[in-house]
Amino acid sequence: MTDIQAMVVPGFLKPHQTLLGIVVPDDKRVAIDFKAFIRDFTPNVTRAREGLEDRQRHRAVESRRKPRGQTKPLVGMAFTYRGLRKTTLGAASLGSDAFRQGLAARSAYLGDPVGLKDEGNPKNWKVGGPGNELDALIVIAGDTRPQVDKRATELARIIQKAGLKMSYREKGDVRPDHPGHEHFGFDDGISQPGIRGRASEDPNSFITPRHIAKAEGPIHSLFGYPGQDLVWPGVLVLGHPATSPDPLVPGTPSAAIPAWTANGSYLVFRRLRQDVGLFWRTMRAEAKRLSKLPGFKGMMDEKLASRLVGRWFSGAPVNRVPQKDDRGLGKNKLANNHFRFDSDAHAYTLNSGFVDKFPQSMADPAGLTCPWAAHIRKVNTRDSASDTGGRDSTYARRLLRIGIPFGKPIRNPYATINNDPQKGERGLLFLSIQASIEDQFEFLMARWMGDPSRPKMPAGHDILVGQNDTPGENRERRCVIFGSEVQQASVSTKAQWVVPTGGGYFFVPSISALQTVLGG
Amino acid sequence: MALLTQYDTPAFLPDFNAIPGQLEAWNRAVSAWFDQNIAADQAMYGHTPLQYYNAATFDPGGIAVEQEITWNAFPKELLRRYGRERALILADRPWPIESFGVYPPDPDNTAGTSGVFYRPQEEYCEWHVRRNPDTDRILQVTFTSEPPEYWMSLTGLVPGDPTVPISDQYFPGDPETLLRLYHELVSPDVKYEDLFVSSDVKDANGKAITKKKQYNIYNKWNTTLGIAHLNSPPNSLVAEIKLGADASILYTDPKGRLLVEPDALMAYAAYGGPNRNSDPTIGATVNALARLGAYVTLRNPVGLYMDHIDLSGWEAPDKKSISECVRILRGLPGMIERMVVEVPKKRGFTISDLTIVGVPIRYGGQIAECITVKLVGTANIVPKHLPRLPAAGTGRVFIDPRWPLALEQFKSTPPGAVEGFLNEGIGDPKQSGAATMPVRKAGIATYSSQRRLSRFRFYKSEEIDAQRSQRIKSRAATGTSASYDRYPGDGCPRIS
Repeated sequence: MTDIQAMVVPGFLKPHQTLLGIVVPDDKRVAIDFKAFIRDFTPNVTRAREGLEDRQRHRAVESRRKPRGQTKPLVGMAFTYRGLRKTTLGAASLGSDAFRQGLAARSAYLGDPVGLKDEGNPKNWKVGGPGNELDALIVIAGDTRPQVDKRATELARIIQKAGLKMSYREKGDVRPDHPGHEHFGFDDGISQPGIRGRASEDPNSFITPRHIAKAEGPIHSLFGYPGQDLVWPGVLVLGHPATSPDPLVPGTPSAAIPAWTANGSYLVFRRLRQDVGLFWRTMRAEAKRLSKLPGFKGMMDEKLASRLVGRWFSGAPVNRVPQKDDRGLGKNKLANNHFRFDSDAHAYTLNSGFVDKFPQSMADPAGLTCPWAAHIRKVNTRDSASDTGGRDSTYARRLLRIGIPFGKPIRNPYATINNDPQKGERGLLFLSIQASIEDQFEFLMARWMGDPSRPKMPAGHDILVGQNDTPGENRERRCVIFGSEVQQASVSTKAQWVVPTGGGYFFVPSISALQTVLGG
Repeated sequence: MALLTQYDTPAFLPDFNAIPGQLEAWNRAVSAWFDQNIAADQAMYGHTPLQYYNAATFDPGGIAVEQEITWNAFPKELLRRYGRERALILADRPWPIESFGVYPPDPDNTAGTSGVFYRPQEEYCEWHVRRNPDTDRILQVTFTSEPPEYWMSLTGLVPGDPTVPISDQYFPGDPETLLRLYHELVSPDVKYEDLFVSSDVKDANGKAITKKKQYNIYNKWNTTLGIAHLNSPPNSLVAEIKLGADASILYTDPKGRLLVEPDALMAYAAYGGPNRNSDPTIGATVNALARLGAYVTLRNPVGLYMDHIDLSGWEAPDKKSISECVRILRGLPGMIERMVVEVPKKRGFTISDLTIVGVPIRYGGQIAECITVKLVGTANIVPKHLPRLPAAGTGRVFIDPRWPLALEQFKSTPPGAVEGFLNEGIGDPKQSGAATMPVRKAGIATYSSQRRLSRFRFYKSEEIDAQRSQRIKSRAATGTSASYDRYPGDGCPRIS
């Protein structure tokens, strides 16, 4: 816990972040100084233990056991292949083709637009495209904007003093009007996995707290919050036991090649612009069309969108409350992620004594309630098998999302760009932690979200976030939803409301690797 | 919904059209395979009706929902046992038939084997790679999902399996059509006698899997020299029909809890290969529908199909279209039976010059990773259904430390191994009234032998905890710097 970066374990889940992108000028002296910079900068990087202590303080504040106090912003440091190569020749040995090629080179595989004039083509990206690639990324995360700004300014000064170029700086903040919600309006990040493991000899010092009573038997060890999968650390951190066929048995460790990559991880950064008006105008038009079909009477845009997300605005899962949102359920962490797809769910006995009296989810194996194309079902098949077999393949795909929205919220969700004071400049600074870019982030994007037949049928594309790059289909995404009497209808659109505008693939070294191999 | 009037050939393949009586015989055979598998399960589980049905003889009514079940074509069994790098090499090679079901650490060593080979591609999709013998460049990769029964029927006989029991099925047959198909699809050099065996072909247990003078699905033109149809032993139409029947039964674990988790269901119900992409998802999907009370069957035409090939990230050196490098030779879009990947000669390069996300194609398996295979089921949601009593699952799986990412089936649990899913909390007594239901006593599993099961030792949970603790500790000693001491009943390491 003292060697892993806090950005990886337990991950940054702060309401304010600033990203600083560093470029090392093509000058030999500066390249040598880059190593010195890394060495000198490393004490600023937050270790997992500090991050966990910070998280625990927050939990105590949340449960009103402690008053809210001032906490120091957390700092993470990561490198692209280009940047890593400037510090060590060993960069070429890292076991990831995707990392070496970089996000821009893999963009088409993810289904991103390839037209030269497309905003989503890497050539037009604000950061990370050809000519504006980064060497390193600093992530600063904190509880208040002034705190984060102050820390970012301090660190920017160190970067510039070292002769490095800071070519990118961007702020991300939770929405002030709806904290925790992304710009389309949905509560985000509820389905985060937990990390198996304890931080000390204390048998109760779980990194991810357990909420299900031991009386429930092995279920107690399968979940943190009810429904929150506990993944083996190797799913997120190199060199640690990963998934095995049985979720309670550790698998072989995720490969740490070369050895100094142990306790490191990969970070995917995607700057995704969200065209909120386009999304809601499309939902309104499609809902109107569907409402005239048998079985879809009364279909409204919010209900249609909830079907495509799998949750209502509040985060309440549609499998638990199919007809309308339930804010109480949506904000209740002990209930809002507890549901199953293939069989009926029931309430667990919880340590807190809370009794989950919200409606329980009913078996929905064919996606009659929550379509198989719904975003939350595409990326996490939960208790269902998939095209890659049993549940271990689902556990092995989980990633830790530590991103944050950028830009101001829009007041009129149907507004066109011309009527939008921000001119559409809002979206998500998507940041994810995983042990394998190929087997986790890219697999989810290309194999599940972007494919109409996977992980399971009857599905279609993940219309919310997925892409369709099949030649001749004009990027049209289609999916299947069901009406009240099992009538099947198709929803389709060519509208591109999530547009990649930047990013990169990064390696997040351990503290010891920063101090020795990269900074030595 | 009316009764089905005829079971058609897979993907409506037309080869039987000109053979008098062949289509009718095919219809009878498919119908019999449904009936006999249903009868076998009924006999085993107390002679009550199954929720699995033969659409030619039973109409359950209700609302029919088609359920396509998809999976990846690359064999997960090899991935789990050998890792991707090695699995890609091994998957392209025919394996000696003696090694079926046995996974040696060094499968390359084929010395001393009978010379009869099968393809270790157990996901109902198989492929053959044709290379330039001088340069080793890949010229062509041919994929098939055609069931062996279809080709066997052209010889007049599809042998049954007395252990189920499935009876022999007889057809008018047409040897000329069989030979013509081999000539058209594989090689003009194929001779009729090449397709039959002169002596029994035996598996690792000495059991004759192809009898003397019968059509040899392992003939050289369907293994080492080419590919005509599926020949990996688990890849058959009868197996598909049987899996559907077995998976439509509700099962309980040893504690009497209803099984609902895909892996645990597979482990205890023992209806297929637990290390596959296909069987766990087919079984879990059918079982989930059956738990809802739906009647389930396979949609006509019953078959195994490639759904599509995903060309995302593929690139040719001339930057031109990849689509023209893929041709469907038999079947229909979405119901593909035979597909070839080959660069048109005019473009002047080979498959080996293509890249998938920047990585050159070196093995057929890289292409298989992009192929989605499927079958199509039908679920009839009926307004009222009889409550089905779950049967006690008779299977078990364990994790052998030698293959830590694979599940072993039907073997006694060796010291240091961990019995799988015993502690997962699978099922839920509060669900579906399972806790109050009298559990029907299961009979003898069909394709596991009673002898093997009787040797199986049931471990108490304390023993399992001790075994797991020991294994986790020994792994920590050889694995990483973290220590993985744990508390009984928990699954947590300490990250130091």
